[in-house]
Amino acid sequence: MSVSMVTGGSYLESLLQGQPQLPSSPSAWLNQLRADAVDRVGALKVPTTRDEEWRFTDISPLAKLSFQPVRAVSSLQTADVERFYLEEAATRLVFVDGAYAPQLSTQPDEATDSGLIVSNLSTALSAHATAIEPHLGRHAGFRDNVFAALNTAFLQDGALIIAPRNAVAEKPVHLLFVATQREAASHPRCLLIAESGSAITVVEDYVALQEDAYVTNAVTEIALADNAQVNHIRVQRDSTEAFHIANCAVSTGRASRYRSVSVALGARISRYNLNTLLAAEEAECAIDGLALITGRQLADTHTCIDHAKPHGISRQSHKCIVDGAAHAVFNGKILVRPNAQRTDSSQSSRNLLLNAKARVDTKPQLEIFADDVKCAHGATVGQLDNDEVFYLKSRGLSEITARNLLTYAFGAEIIDRISVASLKHRLEQAVLEQTQRN
Amino acid sequence: MSAVLQNLVNQPYKHGFVTEIESDVAPRGLSEDTIRLISAKKNEPGWLLEFRLKAYQQWLKMEEPKWPNVKYPKIDFQAISYYSAPKPKQKLSSMDEVDPELLRTFEKLGVPMHERAALAGVAVDVIFDSVSVATTYKQKLAEVGITFCSISEAVQMHPDLVRQYLGTVVPVGDNYYAALNSAVFTDGTFCFIPKGVKCPMDLSTYFRINTEESGQFERTLIIAEDGASVSYLEGCTAPKFDTNQLHAAVVELIALDNADIKYSTVQNWYAGDENGLGGIYNFVTKRGLAKGINSRISWTQVETGSAITWKYPSCVLQGENSVGEFYSVAVTNNYQQADTGTKMIHIGKNTRSTIVSKGISAGHSNNSYRGLVRIAPTATGARNYSQCDSMLIGDKCSASTFPYIQVRNQGAKVEHEASTSKIGEDQLFYFAQRGIDSEEAVSMIINGFCKDVFQQLPMEFAVEATKLLGFKLEGSVG
Repeated sequence: MSVSMVTGGSYLESLLQGQPQLPSSPSAWLNQLRADAVDRVGALKVPTTRDEEWRFTDISPLAKLSFQPVRAVSSLQTADVERFYLEEAATRLVFVDGAYAPQLSTQPDEATDSGLIVSNLSTALSAHATAIEPHLGRHAGFRDNVFAALNTAFLQDGALIIAPRNAVAEKPVHLLFVATQREAASHPRCLLIAESGSAITVVEDYVALQEDAYVTNAVTEIALADNAQVNHIRVQRDSTEAFHIANCAVSTGRASRYRSVSVALGARISRYNLNTLLAAEEAECAIDGLALITGRQLADTHTCIDHAKPHGISRQSHKCIVDGAAHAVFNGKILVRPNAQRTDSSQSSRNLLLNAKARVDTKPQLEIFADDVKCAHGATVGQLDNDEVFYLKSRGLSEITARNLLTYAFGAEIIDRISVASLKHRLEQAVLEQTQRN
Repeated sequence: MSAVLQNLVNQPYKHGFVTEIESDVAPRGLSEDTIRLISAKKNEPGWLLEFRLKAYQQWLKMEEPKWPNVKYPKIDFQAISYYSAPKPKQKLSSMDEVDPELLRTFEKLGVPMHERAALAGVAVDVIFDSVSVATTYKQKLAEVGITFCSISEAVQMHPDLVRQYLGTVVPVGDNYYAALNSAVFTDGTFCFIPKGVKCPMDLSTYFRINTEESGQFERTLIIAEDGASVSYLEGCTAPKFDTNQLHAAVVELIALDNADIKYSTVQNWYAGDENGLGGIYNFVTKRGLAKGINSRISWTQVETGSAITWKYPSCVLQGENSVGEFYSVAVTNNYQQADTGTKMIHIGKNTRSTIVSKGISAGHSNNSYRGLVRIAPTATGARNYSQCDSMLIGDKCSASTFPYIQVRNQGAKVEHEASTSKIGEDQLFYFAQRGIDSEEAVSMIINGFCKDVFQQLPMEFAVEATKLLGFKLEGSVG
């Protein structure tokens, strides 16, 4: 084999370059967390397709390029990124190549927004240490996950949102991650703490200024206390040359409700792990996803919904629209632990293939250890229904218009669940453009 | 086969008397010598010995699979004796000597009186002459040109046929247990249905097994030529006790143009006691090749026995318009573990497959469905429908589903559905209202749950399977 056979260890070592130069944090526990993560990176290997969890996603192209962390301060101005702003979002944190860009961000006016804290992590760390410490690095485990470990090793800054007790944020918070440089590695980090009875909508948005090869390795942790409600919208619009790896860990309190819509449009290879732990009784989650890919893109979504306590409800719908020689992977695991009685769970994975070279691997998975449960899952793979196309043609639509409309409708079902109107509109446009390109 | 070895094996005992045991049972352990001994004992042609040795070489390089969702202590492959000459079973002289537990089972299953004796191993020549029945059977089949015999017999009588097809569907190095089987298999079934012949009756190992003991490493090869059709039944509903703990069988089916093979299994081997002690490990490789156009392979299985079941009857749909089917009921109770399912590999155009799997777990058992549906880039117009339902009885058992769906062709349509449910209090209450006690109600609900699969079984099997299920799950509800 060629140069791609960099052994796991030395490749990871090269990725860790620059980690020792990070300024040490005033918080001892954070330094300890980073040190633990560095140890784990040393012990773990880059996954290959021989690992069951990465069976269909070959990330060896990633190891062919050497990515380095960027620490140069960004000189981007509002005009450069304004087009990505959401009109509904009054508060916005912008990160450029992983570094916080205060000149582009708007933090909330504490008086008006019922005490909502939206800040970059390093600034808020000392003031809110008692709130942050029990959550940061505690939900997204990095023992067996080399990418989460790498992210944690580089943990210095990130986005922090704390919704205080009973605070209801009317407007969404926009977290915008902009990639600008070739061969740069960024490790974005988000922490969302929704205290009891609070409600908040967060948009996590990854964009690129140009078509470059870079790597984004994100970790997001979301903790919901009792009765909290979080609406999490995640949009990945990276460059089609880029690598996007993300781990999101959610932990829910009693009777809390977590809703998530994630849309993957970009990246050459993307991998999103979403682990939702229904850690208390009567917790609910609704997890929806859409991957719209073409060319030689690969979009891999792995989700795990862990019903640890009784009376949990989960709903999941994941859709992939695959064109060109693209490859979509979905692995959705639903785990019902012993004693998690009266769990009600349903999951569907639906895939639309638009090209003869397109490829789908899907694996909805149920593991059930309790008897009084209602669990169902379904998966379909297919192309557009000829009867449906015929029906539209009989109403005077051309073949192409009919096909585009049906493809659009297939994806729109997920996009419709996005509660931020301007974002929804933009994504609808993106789907429409993609379908019309053919 | 080396003549030296032959002589060595056949040498009379030097000290003047012959110990039969030494010549009939191979020493424990597996080595090339053991394989040569087996091959020599069975007077096999050279190519078969080569086949075995090749398998053995591959096996040495392989590792035991770790991915199944089952747990068991490591098997010591050197502690197994791989060959013992067929010998008559020890006959009991009357029904009074039969294990009362076994008799109770027969009673429950409603096995006819004369068959009970036969199954329990009582000398039954007067009541039920199994040998003569088998002979009538064979004559009738020979008239239409069907070959149905043990595989050792086939190696001697029809070596060309066996050589042409053996190992073509399950290659010697296919997986760990298939390689082991290929190296050491001692017996099994061979069935050949010539061109255009529709087999006039359901073929069953039942009639064969009464005359010969089937081995621990069973090998089955069924070939249906152009336009032929056959229905084959394996196993039997009565519990089967066996001293061999590890069973690693290989079954190969080949269907040529327009041929149709239906393979039904009812497996009720000893599952261990209620504490999970003992029981058979059933690690089986079953695969059918739908080679010709319009060919069809259908698997139906009712798996109720064995401590561990690890089995994925598969169909390779190579011929255009070929059809694969898999209907399965897997029941686990106490500490049984089952990891079973199917693989449907679509290669030819317009190939179709159906998967219906019903898993029932009770007690502390663990029941997994693991399936693969793969649509190759060549399989335009392929169609698959899968349904796998689980039922849990009690809160100490588990049910898992691992369906792999891999689609490489845009023109394919794949659907998969799975659900999990329990027998509801309200359902039992409904039955109680109508004067049906909970035991019968459970049995009726379960039979309703499994109806789609039982419908695929031959009639007598279906009736017995229905009762078998009720019996297996007795006492686990309420």
